Amino acid sequence: MYGFQGTMLVIDLGEGKVLTEDLDERFARNYIGGVGFGVRLLYDRLTPRVDPLSPENMLVFASGPLSALGFMGSTGISVVSKSPLTGLIGDSDLRGSFGRNLKSCGYDVLIISGKAKSPVYLELTDGAVEIRDAADLWGKTTAEVQSTLSHVNEKGLSILSIGPAGEHLVKYACISGDVRFFAGRLGMGAVMGAKNLKAIVMKGGKETPIADPQGMKDLIKQVHYEVLHDGSCDTLSKYGTWNNIGPSNLKGTLPTKNFQRTTFEKIDQIDGEAMLNSISAGDRTCPGCPIGCRRVVKGEQPYRVLPEYGGPQYESVAALGPTVLLGDALAIAKANELCNLYGLDTISTGVTIAFAMECREKGVLTPKDLGMDLKWGDPEDILQLIRMIAFREGAGDVLADGVRRASEKIGKGSEEWAMHVKGLEIPMHDPRGKKGIALAYATALKGADHESAMHDDVFERENALPELGYVKPMGRKEYQGKPLLVKKTQELWGILSDALPICKFPMAPPRPLTPGRLVSALRLVTGWDVSLEEFLRVGERIFNLGRLFNVREGADRTLDVLPDRFSEALQEGGSAGEMITRKDLERMLDEYYNYRGWTKDGVPKEETLIRLDLKNH
Amino acid sequence: MAVTVRFLTAFQDLTLSKKLFLVEGKRLDQIIDELETQIPGLKEKLLDSEGKPHPAYQMIHVKGNIQELCSKLDCPIGDGDEIVITSLISGG
Repeated sequence: MYGFQGTMLVIDLGEGKVLTEDLDERFARNYIGGVGFGVRLLYDRLTPRVDPLSPENMLVFASGPLSALGFMGSTGISVVSKSPLTGLIGDSDLRGSFGRNLKSCGYDVLIISGKAKSPVYLELTDGAVEIRDAADLWGKTTAEVQSTLSHVNEKGLSILSIGPAGEHLVKYACISGDVRFFAGRLGMGAVMGAKNLKAIVMKGGKETPIADPQGMKDLIKQVHYEVLHDGSCDTLSKYGTWNNIGPSNLKGTLPTKNFQRTTFEKIDQIDGEAMLNSISAGDRTCPGCPIGCRRVVKGEQPYRVLPEYGGPQYESVAALGPTVLLGDALAIAKANELCNLYGLDTISTGVTIAFAMECREKGVLTPKDLGMDLKWGDPEDILQLIRMIAFREGAGDVLADGVRRASEKIGKGSEEWAMHVKGLEIPMHDPRGKKGIALAYATALKGADHESAMHDDVFERENALPELGYVKPMGRKEYQGKPLLVKKTQELWGILSDALPICKFPMAPPRPLTPGRLVSALRLVTGWDVSLEEFLRVGERIFNLGRLFNVREGADRTLDVLPDRFSEALQEGGSAGEMITRKDLERMLDEYYNYRGWTKDGVPKEETLIRLDLKNH
Repeated sequence: MAVTVRFLTAFQDLTLSKKLFLVEGKRLDQIIDELETQIPGLKEKLLDSEGKPHPAYQMIHVKGNIQELCSKLDCPIGDGDEIVITSLISGG
């Protein structure tokens, strides 16, 4: 089988058992890889209603057919599990070289279940799997783990680890990859911590067979040429995702003060230019990507920030900056660094701190409750609260469960400003100025996810994505056409990119990774005679199976909602006057469910399941 | 007809880090031609091979609180208006 090793590694940490299973080619073609494999495996193997932090939950690390290539972020991996934050299917993609390294150890998929009796880490090489004692690593930050385990082997190894937040079962704890890449969202780090699994070290040397190596080489060369010469990636190369900060503020979609508004008075201190001229220490790239969008940062006074620990990308800058009214680039970088070292998702952390700040402002929480004054934009309080959350100290304990649970516990009306969908904190694009993203937040499998569907801005011009039928422009604030757009791009951009896997950025029009080229890559690697139609149907199949997983867990239309705050019109900025009422959303949901072939309650109909070869689920 | 052109996270290499330009023109194409005299090489990057606005950028016409996307080069621009040239948001 081309593009795959053909083997899944299955580890039960409770029993200390290590098994391998064959990867069936029909299974591979039906689900491609990455998130597709993860969703299918969890649907088949997980007991419904299992506690996400129990030993019975499974953690799936799945590569895809493109993982062995150096092609625009294709070396990444999907981490899939039942999320402790949402109680639904959760997946988080991790760039870097972890998918490639898992394959080089001889496995396409790693499935972990059970709970080790004491802290352990896994060491994978081609030919051996060791479950090793991690008592000395427990309590360490991700950087300390990296430093300690780097001595296990020489060059070329990858280390996935959790920090103290994962150990303390913070429900939005992340998994760090070499302290620079993160499976950030949905608490995958807490699942790892609940299994007493501190780290996974991978180093192998196995090659993955490619059906048409020369054809693939030619395709990579062509795409790289266009990336470097057609202008479509120029600002991403220069600023990284900081290229979004200024434009988002201009358009009135930059979450500010816990989504109370969408323009930030200190924007000049944190926009792309400001970041580049103040704290930037250069860029890093994923293997085989000529864009180099990942920014690293450094600083000395008043906060020492080291480039080794990555840097805040757009989402992190916005979540730890405007959302909490912090306008100091270096303080934002320090907050980001602490999240990276403790192993916290920066988006959920920022939104949770903003929630606490609003509780403080409205008198629902007092300085005594919080152990600090916690006024908007105070860098020292923000940094202290990050630590308290990671270690579940004081008020950090309740905040460590995310805004949904925290607001349920705190009460006093705080649910009103708990900004989440299905328990996942809202990311850094206010949906009032982007109606497609509003629907995407409401309907994404994992809750409010900014990478689940293409952003409305992309479709404001002619011929944005002809292969999916998008030739006429659609305004970002308009409702018309958005339900079908969201459906189609949830499958292409949200799902299939994580199945191949491939980075989403070069897929966003007008960049050169068109759907047709992705199909070409899949054909060249696997040798399958797959068509664009079949490829897109796989995306639809995975999405529907994920929905079935959620339905089995009790989800239905009543969870496809947005916080009431978004039904209040914005008062200023580039999206002034914009809002999404419940009625607006319900209308979009009706149309969206109809396109999806779901009932009014949001459940896939039988004919839909038959069409997608999911009749027996 | 004075129009302010603001560069936001775009073309700072060409503008030598200058963000604001004052130009004369009643339509977008006239403004771009005028900008080209002040910022040589801009037009080639701002427009695609067919002479249309490059899809990786957006030119946003700001009139007070109202923002309109300029999708065509014959877009009329009023005295005192502002044009913001910025990169396209394509996700976080």
